[in-house]
Amino acid sequence: MVSSVAIKTEPLVVNIGPQHPSTHGVFRMRVHLDGEVITDAEMVVGYLHRSMEKLAEERTWTQNIPFTDRMDYLAAMTGNLSYCIAVEKLAGIEVPERAQYLRVIFAELQRIASHAMANGTFVNDCGAWQTPLFYMFREREKILDLFEMACGARLTLNYMRIGGVAFEPPDEFWPQLQALIDELPARIDEYDRLLLDNEILVMRSRHVGMLSAEMAINSSVSGPILRGSGVAWDIRKANPYCVYDRMDFDIPVGNIGDCYDRFVVRMEEVRQSLRIIKQALVQLPAGSHTANIPLNLIPPAGEVYSAIESPKGELGFYLVSEGGPTPFRWHVRAPSLINLSPLREMVVGQSIPDAIVTLGSIDINVGEIDR
Amino acid sequence: MVIAFWTLAALTLGSAVMIVLTRNLLHALLCLILSFVGMAGVFITLSADFVAVVQVLVYAGAIAVLMLFAIMLSPRSGRDNAANMLQLPALVLCGLFAAGVTFTVIETDWREASRGSFDTTAEAIGQALLSPFVLPFEIASVLLVVAMVGAIVLVREDS
Amino acid sequence: MLLSSWWDVRDLGNAVSGLVDALQDAGVPNGVIYSIAALLGCLGIIAFVGATAVINIWVERRLIGRIQVRKGPNRLGPFGLLQPVADAIKLIQKEALQPKSADGVVYSLPPILIFIPAILAFAVVPFGDKMVLADLNVGVLYLLALGSTTAVLIFMAGYASNNKYALLGSMRVIAMLISYEIPSVLALLGVVTFAGTMSLSGVVDFQDTYWSWLIFFQPLAFLIFLLGTTAELNRTPADIAEAESEIIAGFHIEYSGMKFGLFYAVELVNAMGLSAVIAVLFLGGWWTFGVEKVIPGWILFIGKIYAVYFLLIWFRGTLPRFRMDQLMAFAWKFLLPLGLINVLVSAFEVLLWTEYDISAGVILPASVVVNFALAAVLIVGWSKLMMKPFTDVRRRPHLFNEINVPLPGEATPEPAG
Repeated sequence: MVSSVAIKTEPLVVNIGPQHPSTHGVFRMRVHLDGEVITDAEMVVGYLHRSMEKLAEERTWTQNIPFTDRMDYLAAMTGNLSYCIAVEKLAGIEVPERAQYLRVIFAELQRIASHAMANGTFVNDCGAWQTPLFYMFREREKILDLFEMACGARLTLNYMRIGGVAFEPPDEFWPQLQALIDELPARIDEYDRLLLDNEILVMRSRHVGMLSAEMAINSSVSGPILRGSGVAWDIRKANPYCVYDRMDFDIPVGNIGDCYDRFVVRMEEVRQSLRIIKQALVQLPAGSHTANIPLNLIPPAGEVYSAIESPKGELGFYLVSEGGPTPFRWHVRAPSLINLSPLREMVVGQSIPDAIVTLGSIDINVGEIDR
Repeated sequence: MVIAFWTLAALTLGSAVMIVLTRNLLHALLCLILSFVGMAGVFITLSADFVAVVQVLVYAGAIAVLMLFAIMLSPRSGRDNAANMLQLPALVLCGLFAAGVTFTVIETDWREASRGSFDTTAEAIGQALLSPFVLPFEIASVLLVVAMVGAIVLVREDS
Repeated sequence: MLLSSWWDVRDLGNAVSGLVDALQDAGVPNGVIYSIAALLGCLGIIAFVGATAVINIWVERRLIGRIQVRKGPNRLGPFGLLQPVADAIKLIQKEALQPKSADGVVYSLPPILIFIPAILAFAVVPFGDKMVLADLNVGVLYLLALGSTTAVLIFMAGYASNNKYALLGSMRVIAMLISYEIPSVLALLGVVTFAGTMSLSGVVDFQDTYWSWLIFFQPLAFLIFLLGTTAELNRTPADIAEAESEIIAGFHIEYSGMKFGLFYAVELVNAMGLSAVIAVLFLGGWWTFGVEKVIPGWILFIGKIYAVYFLLIWFRGTLPRFRMDQLMAFAWKFLLPLGLINVLVSAFEVLLWTEYDISAGVILPASVVVNFALAAVLIVGWSKLMMKPFTDVRRRPHLFNEINVPLPGEATPEPAG
């Protein structure tokens, strides 16, 4: 064969971002190209750093709850929930049953909304001109309407409180929730029919962004990425919190760990969330929606790490208290940041469109990465 | 008819001269495309509609693109169309060639053969290519296939 | 037969031929009459092109909006009908930035020149029985030649921007355009073989004579040409030229203001042109089973153009985008063999028809059945073959009820569901 010495291609360094055409936020990936093939990739984060962890050290434990809304702004309920559970563990607070069930219902609703956004933008990255995104946004809009009914906000919810939830949902909430649950399975089946067997989608995402189970476990990724690689690990089953140990649901697990598997895992998780909500509605007891905690909460000195399963993965809080009204150390284990650790392995050897699709399938949220 | 011919001739020759005179190799290529289109126009004035359209399709469409890729893949320094030492010998050679052609043109007896009316050119060419001239036609297609296979083999990586 | 009076609106060519006859009787020299008739035809085409370029902006945005479960533009004017006007005004008043290192003349020319092939395509399209501007004998080939000149102009635009991403984008587009010309040519070859003529009004006459649309005789060619058209027009699923979610944003990245507006408009005019070609070749053009005696043929024709355009918008709204190499593979490994088989089968059918003097009433229905069966078998079978690496892996996820972490070296155990 003729050697290609006559045609020299020099490696090209290209920036993907920070102004990303795909809606993932201000994230930057520096990619070394050899022709069309990526040889190396490094990520540059920090464009959205708001020094939340430092600011939290100067505010009381309850005042820090709105910070958790703004980290993963697409899944504010689970952010709130993780923080409140961590503080309750630290302070030894008992949460009433009704509040636990309400927490579960709202967390699962948030999971559905977040996955709708994640899958919609994933198909958008594959090039489908926002049509599936708009379809999935119908459901998200209805869920956000429910949130607005319950706590007055759509995005930065600030609904969970230490010891329960902030407000009892109004009477109009329950029929509307029931209507949503009744109509959602048909919608999910519609998305299944439209998207899951679409040949172009399969061709764009099969064998793209492969992550083996071993690599996934070694990189400590969590959430749909881990499950897409074949590892059936879900914190709701492994270390149950709230009342998840009373719920019966399945963990969807992918086959080979590519982008398509993560996509179908998220779709299936929406179905499982629906199952959980139905069971929670049936089991919902009467009672108070919050434990009465003092306005100025002072947990005993100590440290705690507690994690929950947020839509993006394992969202954990490491809190250190010195016995004062404000935390001494307030650290977040952000799933999006940890999930980006195997990015280089997933992306090297592919072309740029594949890298974009891979990034879309990891479902990062830059607010969480940078805090 | 006469206006058309002289306009097209001016276009073709003008762009051909620009090919040689312009500094930038890519501008030269664009002038070449223009001269191809002018040639197609001249073919139309001769009622050879099929050849004119094929001229645009093959030359201005495919061969120009081939040359574009060739220029793009060559190093930047080799893309200068500037003056060099070969200009004077080239001019002399062209002058001799032009003299030879002019002499031949003037001395030839351009009697127009009585041809009457002819079929539509596409049909006539098709009949000609598949009956009297079928062997050159087939050899040309085999040659093209060989060239294509050869190009693919040359570029294929060892894997 | 349509009446030939000059007031017969069912064929606007009647008015022109009436005018020509009147001028000839008045003794005007032939050259002047010819140029007047040509000028009237040109004015008609330019009016049509200009009107559709404006209307299509509205049609496309509104229709894509409806496909995406939302209203399209609905603020400006009733139903948003003044949206194109607003778009045009916006683009005109924007600053037309020109990069300093861009190649002056070569940068400004492409937006203007790219309209030339787009409008020239309408010259051979018959809007009615006498409404053809230039009834070329090689009409089909002429259309293909225009398509290939568009490729050169796109490259000019990409090169002149002096931007390595624009250049890479335009080279990818040229590779795609050239690759998709070949299946398009083969599809049209099947059509021409059947119709026996390359002239577009000849193809319409063929459909008129045998009282059927060519789409029934050549379904495979229709599909191949439709897909080739979406690629030639740089529309989804083949729109790598304008792929917004990739960093190489295309050959018109450095164009702003009305120059970009011209690229956008020419995309719509091209879409109209190629839809018109599909409507003429496959859907009968102005001939519609005799309905054109009641409703003017050119109105039906415009309706058919918009029907094909609707198909193209539908593709754009629903399908994701191919990757570049998958696009090439689709053209070379899927459309090209199908096109070749189609040409072979069509040529065989025409051979039986002409050489063995089988009557048209027998061979044509038989060829309809054979061609449809062939199209179905080929498409289903070939796509199963091409999708093999993607269908070997199970698609649906497994459902585990308990935690299950595979240890290193251990095979993944079989799940419950």
